[in-house]
Amino acid sequence: MKQNTFYILAGIIGLIEVGAFWLSVRYMIPYLITVVFIVGVVLLYLAWRRISDRQVDERVVLINQKAGMATFMVFWVIFFAISLGSAVIGLGAPPLPHFPRPPADISGGINKSLKPFGDGPGILNESIKPPDDGLIRLGHFGYLQLALLFLMFFLYVGFRIYYARKYGEWENDEEQD
Amino acid sequence: MHDLTQDALAHELGVTRQTILAIEKGKYDPSLDLAFKIARYFKVSIEDVFTFEEIQ
Repeated sequence: MKQNTFYILAGIIGLIEVGAFWLSVRYMIPYLITVVFIVGVVLLYLAWRRISDRQVDERVVLINQKAGMATFMVFWVIFFAISLGSAVIGLGAPPLPHFPRPPADISGGINKSLKPFGDGPGILNESIKPPDDGLIRLGHFGYLQLALLFLMFFLYVGFRIYYARKYGEWENDEEQD
Repeated sequence: MHDLTQDALAHELGVTRQTILAIEKGKYDPSLDLAFKIARYFKVSIEDVFTFEEIQ
């Protein structure tokens, strides 16, 4: 397989990943994008190994290593800081999930809120509460994770460009003039 | 002297042309393995091709 064929294949897999992500969000199936992403990475790795005109030498390996390590270090600090904030929220929350309790006054043996007939409105059943917005706020955590994913990607690209320039990737070449 | 292009040398040594260019420009220090390969290719000693400069 030629290197350019690999790039085309990577583009197609990338589009499939975006489609799977959209489907996951649309139908609320988080495992779909997880499985599709892992399968996509495995396919890309297998395809990458079959590239016949791959040009990877020690300088490229060094650039990749440096960029990966720098990304990891910066991302680790940011991830740790954000996780500390999340831990504060988690530790400030009630320790365990609790279920709604039955109303205190059950002496009559009949739930007075269930009063389909009669002249006045029934007593509100305190056990029935509107849904807590905690789940909605938990969903907002996904935006934070999305931001972290983008941060990881852009950090790597930025460091990759930095180290490629440092090790002479785009130097002027008199042989090409 | 050898009438050799960077591309041909890179092909002989199994590296990319950008690596040869980066070594020439002093942007990249080759590994010991690659340094020996270069020296052997030109049939000279490694000190004839590379000099060690201590970084202050």
